[in-house]
Amino acid sequence: MSAILQVTELRKSYAGVHALDGVSLAVEAGSITGLIGPNGSGKSTAIDCISGFQKLDGGKVVLAGNDITGQPAHHIARAGLMRTFQTVRIYERLSLRDNLAIAAQQFDPATWLDEFLRTRRYRQAVDKAEVRARELVELIGLKRYWEIETGILSYGQKKLVALAAALMPHPKIVVLDEPVAGVNPTRIREIEVALAELNRAGETFLIVEHNVEFITNLCHRVIVLDQGKKLAEGTAAEIHTDARVLEAYLGMTPEMAEAEMRGAA
Amino acid sequence: MKLAIALVAALAFAALPLMTSSNYIIGVGISALIFTVAAAALNLIYGFTGLLSFAQLGFWGIGGYVTALTVVTFGGNFWWGVLWAALINAVVALAIGYPTLRTNRHAFVIMTLTFALLVTLIARDWVDLTRGPLGIPNLPKPSAFGYHFGTTGQYYWVAWAFSVAMLGFLYALCSSRIGRTLVAIKQNEPLVRAQGIAPMPYKLSAFAISAAVTGAAGGVFTFHLGIIDPLFLDFYYMQTFLIIVIIGGAGSFWGVIAAGIALSALPEVLRFSADFRMIIYGVILVVAMFVMPTGVAGWLRERQLARMREQLR
Repeated sequence: MSAILQVTELRKSYAGVHALDGVSLAVEAGSITGLIGPNGSGKSTAIDCISGFQKLDGGKVVLAGNDITGQPAHHIARAGLMRTFQTVRIYERLSLRDNLAIAAQQFDPATWLDEFLRTRRYRQAVDKAEVRARELVELIGLKRYWEIETGILSYGQKKLVALAAALMPHPKIVVLDEPVAGVNPTRIREIEVALAELNRAGETFLIVEHNVEFITNLCHRVIVLDQGKKLAEGTAAEIHTDARVLEAYLGMTPEMAEAEMRGAA
Repeated sequence: MKLAIALVAALAFAALPLMTSSNYIIGVGISALIFTVAAAALNLIYGFTGLLSFAQLGFWGIGGYVTALTVVTFGGNFWWGVLWAALINAVVALAIGYPTLRTNRHAFVIMTLTFALLVTLIARDWVDLTRGPLGIPNLPKPSAFGYHFGTTGQYYWVAWAFSVAMLGFLYALCSSRIGRTLVAIKQNEPLVRAQGIAPMPYKLSAFAISAAVTGAAGGVFTFHLGIIDPLFLDFYYMQTFLIIVIIGGAGSFWGVIAAGIALSALPEVLRFSADFRMIIYGVILVVAMFVMPTGVAGWLRERQLARMREQLR
């Protein structure tokens, strides 16, 4: 098994409530892994703990062989884990170009002195990042907004900007927190296609999402959380027929789900 | 384009003492230059980094006292005094910034305000060092390479050269990637962290640089006044720097420079009406804030954005 991200026995509680009660999960290099579960099941807490935005009470997080457990967020990002946020976070008062450039700047060799004096090393790093940024902008289809402040973009477009920013430094894994929540259906399809394309090019994703169709279409493996525990894990098809999952997540019996699937088809 | 205008403006300013022999007008020119530098330093920490620092008043005062004491008490010269003012302020800023910047932005405001008040108390009550309310009068004007900057007109060149150097330095900093990172930290700190950037070294450095520049400006201004006493820590100065930054547009380098020059001159221009001068000044500020709540630069930017939106439609 070549897991790029290996999470073992993750524990976190708030004032006695177990948000995460010993969750283990692994993300294979080159895969798209989905993390689903009802509201309050601990998905967001899990990725906040993994990415260093929350302190964990116990457990271990290993990224590409490096133990990153409990490290500050910026260290984990430098180690190769980039993430997006549920409520979209971008620099709304900076141009699309700057948004992408900042996302990569910590990963080039330019020091503050290089930046202040605009040395050759700095200029080379900037040029290299710019090439990458243009590729990604092409991919997300926002080329015409290159020089424009991202604040004027629509919500769905902002989510794409956040996605592109996370991809800028060629991370080992990208963790997406609800990439299509609040995005209109045609745009969801576009995001799906873009992610599949990026995955074919070798990117690894861990996706937290409520949109079951989106997860089903994209993910190689799906992990289901409920009440801070892992409820099930498997391919999307396996998850769909798992009685426990249907019960907890959809509040349905397998028969009902089957009837619905037939209805949808 | 902006740089070319700035260059012409800087040269025009250099010529002020050649155009008038009025010490009063030249004095206003010195104030305008020094206040603009202090405001640009405040803009670095407040406008760019998003940290409202009232500590600037304390740095200004420490700068003034350190420069004066270097010359009067410790027998150094003016240039060393200004250098010491910058260095000591940078160290003080690191010392108070390190714990304070770990708190949130609101706590930062309160703690910097407290620091400024503390410096005022020290200036007044540490009589052995500062001579308390008596102050330190008769500060001698400096010399360099055998040339004595004895008159207000001659001292103006010192203030001019200092301002051009400091503003040039701050411009290089603010327009660099470091400046852009500061803006990013102000806009979305969690995102900055998620992108591998540790905000603390940036915030701390911006605070220290802002303190050093403000302190040096305080030192240069003290020797223009020729005396330092606790009134040098009057809140008037802090308020002036803050008004310049807000009216100019926090986070806009050139907006703040333009506002610094304009607002330093404005109260003097209004002297035709001695009784109502400050009332008119206040009314102008209030109206400016109503029409342009994000400052002149912010207002221009909004218009530019509106045009862009129109084009994209």
